[in-house]
Amino acid sequence: MTGAWIRFAVSAGCMVLGLVFMVSAVFGVNRFKHALNRMHAAALGDTLGILFVILSLIVMRGISMDSLKLSMVIIFFWIASPVSGHMISRLEAMTDERLGEITVLEKNNGILVDMPDEERADVQASSKKGKRKKGGKGR
Amino acid sequence: MELIQQAYNVLMTAIIVVLAGLIILSIVRSILGPGISDRIIAVNMIGTMVIMITAIFSVLLDENYLVDVCLIYAMISFLGVVVLCKVYTGVYLQRKHMKADLMAIEDNLKKQEALEEEEAQI
Repeated sequence: MTGAWIRFAVSAGCMVLGLVFMVSAVFGVNRFKHALNRMHAAALGDTLGILFVILSLIVMRGISMDSLKLSMVIIFFWIASPVSGHMISRLEAMTDERLGEITVLEKNNGILVDMPDEERADVQASSKKGKRKKGGKGR
Repeated sequence: MELIQQAYNVLMTAIIVVLAGLIILSIVRSILGPGISDRIIAVNMIGTMVIMITAIFSVLLDENYLVDVCLIYAMISFLGVVVLCKVYTGVYLQRKHMKADLMAIEDNLKKQEALEEEEAQI
């Protein structure tokens, strides 16, 4: 009986830890301003979040065919997630024309902000160039 | 034994509910996100969370085949992200009249410099 409760405690701890990682990933994606910063937050959930949640399911199940398949999901995710992250960052590096610029914080009604979201959307939507000043040679 | 089963059920149900809330927040970001890559990142994260929920359901409902659904979902979501990135890179380069090829980077840079010089003259 005590062993069963210990197993429950371990799996509950792993699951809550994975949930904490997912919450911080979603929080980061909603909070950061630029796409590359958002990718940094999203990769947290793609690696550690899914690792801990599925690890807790493996602890629940014990060693069986199902837990083997669940660990296959983790292995596949850890191979696929960096590849898709690389693709997304390459898309961002190609399409974002202000990528090389250093953002300068401005005061807007007394609050420090960098570029507002609408302006970035305008830059990305129109095919006009927004004068890249720094970097951009290596792409 | 009855009690521990109940505890497992409560734990997994609570986690599924929280993950559903997180999915709604990600959908909000995928609608708001200014650029196309923000939307792709949000959709990718929604896929991750759906995989987690499917895996938890496979244990909660004791249905083994849901794990296979998980694996296939992971593969298809990866494929979707790769295809979307390729398509939007191609669309962008075509709009700028550039070549969509890895070997054409120098060509594209020269073209861009020529365009910038032209603009400076105007």
